[in-house]
Amino acid sequence: MKKLLSMVLALTLVLSLSGVAMAEGNTQVFWYSLSDVYLSNVRTSLNADFTAAGIEFVDQDANATQTTQTDQITTAIATGTDLLCVNIVETGADGIAQNVVDQAKAAGIPLLFFNRSISEDVVKSYDKCCFIGTNYEDAGIMQGNMIGDYLLADYEKYDLNGDGEISYIMFKGDEANQEAIARTKYGVENADAKLTAAGKPQLKFYDDSNAQKYLVDQNGTWSRQVAQDYMTTVLAQYTEANGNMVELVIANNDEMAIGAVTALQQVGYNNGEGTVTIPVFGVDATPDAVENYMKPGFMAGSIKQDYEGMAEAICTISQNMIAGTDMFANLNENFTVTDGWKVVIPYAMYTGE
Amino acid sequence: MSELNNSAPKKGLAQKFDDFKALDARDKRSVIGNWLLDHAMIIIIVLLVIYIQIQRPAFLATASIVNIIQLTASRLPIALGIAGAIILTGTDLSAGRVVGLGAFVAAILLQKTGAVGRFFAVGDPWPVLIVILLVLAVGAIIGFINGFCVAKFKLHPFIVTLATQLITYGLYLTVSSAKQISSLDESYTTNLITAPMFKIGNTPVMMYVALAAIVTVIMWFIWNKTTFGKNMFAVGSNEEAARVSGVNVTAVIIGVFALAGVTYGYTGFVEAARMGASTGTIGLNYELDAIAACVIGGVSFVGGIGKISGVVIGVVLMQLIMSGMTFLGISGSITYVIKGAVILIACAIDMRKYLTKK
Repeated sequence: MKKLLSMVLALTLVLSLSGVAMAEGNTQVFWYSLSDVYLSNVRTSLNADFTAAGIEFVDQDANATQTTQTDQITTAIATGTDLLCVNIVETGADGIAQNVVDQAKAAGIPLLFFNRSISEDVVKSYDKCCFIGTNYEDAGIMQGNMIGDYLLADYEKYDLNGDGEISYIMFKGDEANQEAIARTKYGVENADAKLTAAGKPQLKFYDDSNAQKYLVDQNGTWSRQVAQDYMTTVLAQYTEANGNMVELVIANNDEMAIGAVTALQQVGYNNGEGTVTIPVFGVDATPDAVENYMKPGFMAGSIKQDYEGMAEAICTISQNMIAGTDMFANLNENFTVTDGWKVVIPYAMYTGE
Repeated sequence: MSELNNSAPKKGLAQKFDDFKALDARDKRSVIGNWLLDHAMIIIIVLLVIYIQIQRPAFLATASIVNIIQLTASRLPIALGIAGAIILTGTDLSAGRVVGLGAFVAAILLQKTGAVGRFFAVGDPWPVLIVILLVLAVGAIIGFINGFCVAKFKLHPFIVTLATQLITYGLYLTVSSAKQISSLDESYTTNLITAPMFKIGNTPVMMYVALAAIVTVIMWFIWNKTTFGKNMFAVGSNEEAARVSGVNVTAVIIGVFALAGVTYGYTGFVEAARMGASTGTIGLNYELDAIAACVIGGVSFVGGIGKISGVVIGVVLMQLIMSGMTFLGISGSITYVIKGAVILIACAIDMRKYLTKK
């Protein structure tokens, strides 16, 4: 009986490997993480665009680990794929991206980086290479400006303890990610600039003993859960009764903003009519944040990363690269090509109205 | 299986064949069935390779074979180290983070002179030989601590190594501030670890493949030809019996974990060079892949059972599957399902051998 069972198991194993649908695998897309919410929106759009354009593709998951991704790329190159679309994991180390570019260059396979930033020198070291992204500082700058204007519209209302200052909490998505660093910096700096210009004091971090002035997702996954756990812990000590309530939440992305909103809701804030609403700001304007948090007024605002535009640009450039024509031909005119290496997808402010 | 289970006298091939002919039809079927099951992993590998090769003729092209060999070489040492811990009926969750720490230590000491954002603002790269010894020592120290706590405080390795995993990562983050260490010196990368040894066709084979082979031979020697190795299996099969027969159990446990630590340090040294930088995610969850490869290769959590060749087969199988899925164009989401299924089924088949013996 046991023998029969294990025979069946062995057979299942072989069949499970052979029964899977076959794709040509002309284009391999390497995602930083399949569980990232913004990226999954890009992926849904991109898969539809690729299918419509008749491009065969495979999505691969690096699970937020660069070694996994680099090995996947090496393997894909060995399969003789036609195009590599890379959403790189590590954004702060040129050596890693250069390693990927060098491999593609040696094999003569066109390489397209998207979303997670790559430095100019690395992209320009290979003629069949480009980067599609945003001016990553812009999201933080726009978020900071938005926060400044939002607070100035009714400053006394948001200053819950009436001490004349707004105390804030900042959630950083990843310690080493360049976009996270810029958003953490400008989200506060630009809000401060607006406030001081209007004669108000600068924002004040809720916890004086934290010199970093942010709480970071140690796993670098920009996670809702992590922000929620932090916020729950913070709200146990910082309350209106103690006169030290956190009066503003700034998050590097919508997922972390939603985590903070959930924690606030558990202690009776941000629940619509009859409850006090702490302004919470994110970035990405994901469908979940827009529909379930911003429209009902639980979240104050976000910066829209245009995932459909991102997917459209990737698809157009992929077609060009596969055809071997000019990389940037037929590109939507909303996207600007900078210096022959970078396609910029613009951000937009979003408040749920 | 270990020497312990091979107690039956060895027979010549001819003798075995005569024995087989003497059996009746029913027994013959049973012998064939058992043989198939005992070699199930190898058979599955062969079937898999044939299948992928038919679907994707590029699978067995030199570029692809070299790629699989290189990926195997990068994963093998850590699996060989962790296998020792499994033979002691333990495990080692600290492995991946020790790899990360090793990569970091190697990278900061071997950064190019005058690199932008250099970790140590001034100074030259250290001699590579000193750095590798240092990295191995770092691994050995953490391994020693693991082994010491397991042996002296009678704690389960799962708990001890979970604790050291967190401590190691915390120390790494504190010292590094999670900075990526890029611009590594050529004496470390393209002239050593990723230096092409020779070319097969147009595909260069890199130096770390040879280094992994050397590590494997050393580990094989330690396991099979030294008293320490024999004691490791003895302690793994029955700690009390080993103690009674005069084995220094404490020393064996500490030795196995320290040796494992050395292999993690070595892996870290290779990984930073292979990736071109040290980052916070190097090593993340490596222990899980390594443990999976070990159990697929017949290193049993039952204790005292495992062979170097089994570990090699386990690692190769994992890489073949991962690479094969890329060739077949299977999406990332399904990859996880298949990987999980392979681990489960492989272990179920393997466990059957021990169940029938008991």
